[in-house]
Amino acid sequence: MIKTQIILAGIGGQGILFASRIFSELGLKLGLNVLGSETHGMSQRGGSVLSHLKLGNFHSPLIHTGAADILYSFAEEETYRSLKFLRNGGVCFVNLENSKRFDPAILSHLKGKKVGFRTFDANEAAAQIGFARSTNIVLIGYSVGTGLIPFVYDDIKSALESVSRKKELEVNLKAFEIGFLKGKS
Amino acid sequence: MKNEEVRILLGNVAIARGIIESGCHVVTSYPGTPSSEIIPAVVSFKKELGLDTYIEWSTNEKVAFDNALAASLTGKRAAVAMKQVGLNVASDSLMSSAYTGVVGGLVVISCDDPGPHSSQTEQDSRFYAMFAKIPVFDPSTPQEAKEMVKAAFELSEEFQIPVLLRPTIRVSHGKQNVKLEPPRILDRPADFVKDPARWAATPRFRLILHTKLNEILSKIQEKFEKDTRWNVEVGSPRNYTLGIITCSSSFVAILDLLEEFGLNEDISLLKIGTPYPLPKKKIAEYIKRHDKVLVIEEPDSVIELLINDKSKVLGRLSGHVPLQGELSPEVLYGILSQLLSDLGIAKLEMISDPELEKLVEDLDLPVRRPTLCAGCPERAAFFAIKKAFPKGIYPSDIGCYTLGLNLGAVDTVLDMGAGITFASGFYQAYHQDGNDIPIISTMGDSTFYHSGTSSLLNAVYNNARFILVILDNEITAMTGMQPTPGIGITADGSEGQSIPLEELIRGCGIQWLRTIDPYDVKELLSLLKEAREYTQKEDGGIAVIVARHPCLIRYPDVCQEKPVKVTITEECNGCMYCVDFFECPALKPDKEEDLVRIDRTLCTDCGVCVQVCPREAIVPAETKGKNS
Ligand code: SF4
Ligand code: SF4
Repeated sequence: MIKTQIILAGIGGQGILFASRIFSELGLKLGLNVLGSETHGMSQRGGSVLSHLKLGNFHSPLIHTGAADILYSFAEEETYRSLKFLRNGGVCFVNLENSKRFDPAILSHLKGKKVGFRTFDANEAAAQIGFARSTNIVLIGYSVGTGLIPFVYDDIKSALESVSRKKELEVNLKAFEIGFLKGKS
Repeated sequence: MKNEEVRILLGNVAIARGIIESGCHVVTSYPGTPSSEIIPAVVSFKKELGLDTYIEWSTNEKVAFDNALAASLTGKRAAVAMKQVGLNVASDSLMSSAYTGVVGGLVVISCDDPGPHSSQTEQDSRFYAMFAKIPVFDPSTPQEAKEMVKAAFELSEEFQIPVLLRPTIRVSHGKQNVKLEPPRILDRPADFVKDPARWAATPRFRLILHTKLNEILSKIQEKFEKDTRWNVEVGSPRNYTLGIITCSSSFVAILDLLEEFGLNEDISLLKIGTPYPLPKKKIAEYIKRHDKVLVIEEPDSVIELLINDKSKVLGRLSGHVPLQGELSPEVLYGILSQLLSDLGIAKLEMISDPELEKLVEDLDLPVRRPTLCAGCPERAAFFAIKKAFPKGIYPSDIGCYTLGLNLGAVDTVLDMGAGITFASGFYQAYHQDGNDIPIISTMGDSTFYHSGTSSLLNAVYNNARFILVILDNEITAMTGMQPTPGIGITADGSEGQSIPLEELIRGCGIQWLRTIDPYDVKELLSLLKEAREYTQKEDGGIAVIVARHPCLIRYPDVCQEKPVKVTITEECNGCMYCVDFFECPALKPDKEEDLVRIDRTLCTDCGVCVQVCPREAIVPAETKGKNS
């Protein structure tokens, strides 16, 4: 039975709630229990946004420190803040500008914890296809491409199709595809 | 509708669904985090299912409460939703309605905010249920919240009493796969049956009503004693060293922890879904079978206080549970591991990684504090106020504009309406000593409609003098863009009657009133000076400025009518005045070059910063009108 805990971290306006909806829908399609928790209100005004998502046999929507299987981070600083959620041996996908360097001390600490750590410039990849706002979907596509997450291409794609608004569907699928190809290569 | 439809619903949407499935006729509310999503969800279910539910955004929580209660008196089902501090506002009605009772089911939804994430207190709404003597349901998940709404309507009608539903923020803003059921259709034409001994009860009758209320309450308590749907024991009912009595979001968090760490064989759980009136016999019987019983509830202690024999009970009173703050899984884990080690039951491993936390701490990441949006008209107004009266006192209020704090232009935030009452209070206190200092009060449009008029009437009546700036962005922005009486659109999008702020302000006896677009900082500055003179004139009084500019998030198009593309010239010497005193998120310091740059992804082309830079280093690159 699949039991997966996912943290999505970033700042307001990066489409984190939408990213979380893709995984909720995925859970629904796979017949799993879905539980999640979102940030609203004051903290949305440019502050950090953190979304918890638990698929499988859980009761509470909250993920505790050291328990997340997967971490998606859409902003560098928020990565540092949310790494504490990741379990030993978890995987993490970080949207990071090519030019930037992730803190080496933290990187080696994560290695010691056997964390699968991938950075990818999803901003640029999204901008390249002319949809700067699709960073979230590009990064998810990327993660599927790496084969490091327990979900397959077809399932996530179909979840993305279900939650996308009609006029955004084409763009979203393209963003997903671009990310996926980058992740595979 | 398919019979077994499952959807992922936010807790508040599940509550809305419960309202709809109960066949509720009237739903009212005043927005406030974490309750604001309930009404929009009721509206969308209504539209989806083609129902004729009456839904309103009321002007405040008491008004919302009374309107729902009146509907119930006609025999209809009614629900009223608010955040926990909203219940303070509605508490007058709540207390009295417990005595008079209801006819059609009345469910009062009050969302608690342990943390607090978005509130001025961590108060526990369950105390209000106790205070008013009405029953309360306390859901632990969105699915349960939906079912409890339905049970609450049934109970309310069975005993003719208002019933409280108390979701915490983790239920309201949690999401889950929820089973949908078809709505009930209850055909109940309004039929108010006169009964002055009840609906207009004088103190003599009130005593009778109170006696009846007490009888009802003890009947409900008996019912809760027998209940096994909401009050559930997890684990086989035998004797344990440790048992935990818990409720709401803490219950599910503890359940996950016990399962994860393989403790569910050693520790039993009693989940209480009806904390008031507390099923005391059930609890006493449970305690009897345990050596120690830990009580975990939030944000405060209701169950623990109500337990008669506390000799085996651990909780807040014994110092085992923190007195403030949210009971996150980490906090709960900390409580559990300490206790399990003390009782010799188990030694739990550490879940945190102090080494990692230390490494992150050493990075000294800048705190990302919430800020007004780029191009927000309120920022322009605060900048002008601070500049005009650097030594003024700035009472403010609840809303996005509380973030005027960052600009140093907000000194006090107490509750809804205190922006004005504090201004008059400060004025009278200084005036008594013969001192005259500039007092500039700020309040949003929605807050003014909520509770500004009574405060302003009082200030005018008692000869106070100050400047009131109403930040009118034509929406209730903070809580997610609900309409106001100013724009006159009602909850379901249909047209209501608009009540212009200016008419209301004049109606409060204000003689000096000006309206301005705060984007024009220079003009606002001179208006503020003029206003100050008026407050000092012998025949002067309170000066009111309506600073009107639509919220950029709600009305992006309006704001793009006259975009001002700004650039930064070589005149910029990196003094950071604009960053420190105006703090538009689109103005980004470039530390290497020692100057400021515009972040084009955030900049809204409002052009206000042009008026901010003392070196005139920010200039319009091109100014384009919509028609040019
Ligand atoms: S733009 Fe003006 S205010 Fe901002 S840092 Fe440069 S000189 Fe100072
Ligand atoms: S024009 Fe200036 S004040 Fe307006 S959003 Fe852009 S940087 Fe901020």
